[in-house]
Amino acid sequence: MSRTARIRLFWAAAVVFAVAYAAACTGLPRFGTLAHPYATRAVAAALHQRTANVVSSVNFDQRAFDTLGEESILFAAVLGTIVLLRHARDERTGRPRPGRVLPSTRLLGMVLLPVTLLTGVYIVAHGQLSPGGGFQGGVILATGLHLAYVAADYRVLKRIRPLAFLDAADAAGAGAFAALGLAGLVAGGAYLQNVLPLGTFGQLSSGGLVPVVNAAVGVEVGAGVIVLLAFFLDQAVEVRSPEEHGTGGGG
Amino acid sequence: MRTADLLPLAVAVPLLGAVALVIGGRWLPRVATDALATVWAAMDVADLAWLWAGTGDGHSVSWLGGWYPRRGESVGIVLAGDRIGIGLALLTATLVLAVIVYSWRYFEEPPAQHAGTFPALILLFEAGMCGFALTGDLFDAFVFFELMGAVAYALTGYRIEDPRPVQGALIFGIVNSIGAYCSLLGIGLLYARTGELGLAQIGSALQTHRADALEVVAFVFVMTGLLVKAAVVPFHFWLPDAHSVAPTPVCMLLSGVMVELGVYGAARVYWTVFSGPHGIPHPHLRTAFVAAGVLTALVGAVMCWQQRHLKRMLAFSTVGHVGLFLAGMALLTPAGTAGVALYVAAHAGVKAALFGTTGVLLDRHGSVDEHGLHGRGRDLPLAGAMFTLGGLALAGLPPFGTALGKAVTEHAAEGRFPWLSAVFVVVSAATGGAVLRAAARIFGGAGPRPQEHYAGPETTGSGEEPEIRDPQRRIPAPMLAVPAILLCTSLAVGVLPALAGSLARAARQFTDRTAYAAAVQGHAIAPAAAVPDVGWSTEGVALALASTVLAALLAAAAIWGPALAWRGMGTARAALRAAGRSVVLPLRRLHSGHLGDYVSWLVVGVALLLLVMAA
Repeated sequence: MSRTARIRLFWAAAVVFAVAYAAACTGLPRFGTLAHPYATRAVAAALHQRTANVVSSVNFDQRAFDTLGEESILFAAVLGTIVLLRHARDERTGRPRPGRVLPSTRLLGMVLLPVTLLTGVYIVAHGQLSPGGGFQGGVILATGLHLAYVAADYRVLKRIRPLAFLDAADAAGAGAFAALGLAGLVAGGAYLQNVLPLGTFGQLSSGGLVPVVNAAVGVEVGAGVIVLLAFFLDQAVEVRSPEEHGTGGGG
Repeated sequence: MRTADLLPLAVAVPLLGAVALVIGGRWLPRVATDALATVWAAMDVADLAWLWAGTGDGHSVSWLGGWYPRRGESVGIVLAGDRIGIGLALLTATLVLAVIVYSWRYFEEPPAQHAGTFPALILLFEAGMCGFALTGDLFDAFVFFELMGAVAYALTGYRIEDPRPVQGALIFGIVNSIGAYCSLLGIGLLYARTGELGLAQIGSALQTHRADALEVVAFVFVMTGLLVKAAVVPFHFWLPDAHSVAPTPVCMLLSGVMVELGVYGAARVYWTVFSGPHGIPHPHLRTAFVAAGVLTALVGAVMCWQQRHLKRMLAFSTVGHVGLFLAGMALLTPAGTAGVALYVAAHAGVKAALFGTTGVLLDRHGSVDEHGLHGRGRDLPLAGAMFTLGGLALAGLPPFGTALGKAVTEHAAEGRFPWLSAVFVVVSAATGGAVLRAAARIFGGAGPRPQEHYAGPETTGSGEEPEIRDPQRRIPAPMLAVPAILLCTSLAVGVLPALAGSLARAARQFTDRTAYAAAVQGHAIAPAAAVPDVGWSTEGVALALASTVLAALLAAAAIWGPALAWRGMGTARAALRAAGRSVVLPLRRLHSGHLGDYVSWLVVGVALLLLVMAA
């Protein structure tokens, strides 16, 4: 198809799509209606499970199986990246050059790195109480570590990033979620059913399995994102195409 | 342990297996990794076989997290399996086990430090497909649909040394993701209206509304993702590009079950959500989807016949057969569903076996080009025999299960679409004939070396990188044993009346939305319809033999036709060539490999479906 034909065809079809979607949206419930069947039930169920953060209750208790699937997608994406970005036979690697960093940037990084990691841990640990949880906290943990790359250089990042361990931690986090679900079956209930005491509403230890699953997801997401970024950074910083010579790249 | 507890285990077992392989693969030797993968795959087969036996002709229902419905309402996710869903999951698990055994010695070197990655991805793929087949929740189905997608893209691009797999995986990923976004839009519309995500629950909530634009548009959007996965024309363009470049063991899974899961998903969603009194009327859906199925089948058959790249040929034959499956499912009768279930089960074995033998050729000769390999397969008599048998089974040779499934579906179509039998015969003959033609040329050296007919771009399949790098070694035993066993299972589907009978009763369950909704709510009721007849009939055998003979004739004509010097042959050849130029060449040009074209066709497909369903 020629470029013009392709674009005309696309727009003709896109107009039909847009009209139909607009027509469908007129059938939606009015904005700001008070009652929603699922929301009403989900909040009641979250309170019953003494999980203050209803979103976490939905994600890690009421519809935990969806979340198991979602974190498996992340796990699969990390494995897929390992496969697709592995070093091919014709790729040459060079050593990253030390980068020059302003002293103020270095200082800021040194201060912020521990603070960011702590924030990440806090967000993971308080997932059952306040906005946040394993997914959000895990990403903060992973990005915190990369402050080392911004504030120092790639070699420093490589030193503080035990990839082999993180790779295993990623898998272990994913496996822990699936395995925690078995506890419900062992206790005679359903898969992913809560087996822990529910605790006191609003306390760190409330919500039964929710904080435990949150921690597993936090480990998986944090480790997974670091491994994911490691393979992309590796391609950008260390791998050279066969034509390109030199030791450049870097910091 | 209750039978229903096996439902979530069917997903959890492969997930845990993938974790074990990733961690264990770092320090275990290759043999141990392969053994570990085999054990996990076998465990899932055992789990699902037990579930199949325990469920019987009813449903197994598991409310995850113990969120049982109170007064008919629940906040949780339900897994609901009947023998169609469980059977499909069992088929997936069996094929995964076969693929893992097949690839014991397949890849030369796994990624350094990550030896378990390939089997781990296969197990994750299995978890995604089983979850999709067993869930009774629309959003949960979407999650597992995405899981199988994400894994499939990575597996397709596995051979990174070659740019073609990466391109194929990219097209696969983008086209399927756009389809999935459409599905998500549709799910959003349904959730906004009903506040429910369970299939049965949405279905019963929709009954209180009159069918309006929202429902029709939501139906089309949800279907789009599933039809993209099922490679229905014009959503099919990604399939040949991905299947022709993916590693052979992965192709066995993609063509064997993943594409068919798209058809299953479409049928399941229609029956449980949209088939109610105020839903999409049966005659309307039947006309639209039978038409789409027939179009897909014909495009697949014509393109399959044209290919010389063996994997591309098999990929288009999958398109052709999926068209037949869709048409059969769209008959909306228990008999049609039973026929398709049999057909899918048998087709999976045949198609995987054909891909498996193609892998042997690729291993030995570093090529999958029908023309380049002319006569070079003579040293592989066993592979040649299996490839030929696979071609015959694809064409519908009795007593293979493909023939039985085809016969039952054709019989089911007789009342409303008597001409559908002709489509089934032609499509299976053309796809089977293409395989037979290639088999005779490659393994028998039959006929003269073929000449090129059409100017223009063609995927030849020569210069492929062998997926394994030691052409002098003996062919590993599993690479020949697995296709042989797969062909036997396909044969078993045709000759075991007990299996056909249970699929017939399952089809009756599958097409009864009241029975499904009741089972989800915890009380079983017997379906109303009669159990369809799924035995061999004289008429079915005759049609099956006709398509087999036609396939053989087509193959013979293609091989020896050009060399014949009868009177009138010249005019016949000229007429054929003219037809080829006017039909085949434009069709082939449409399969341009250009991502922008494919996306445009996808949107055109959605627009057409919207117009047809709104009419």
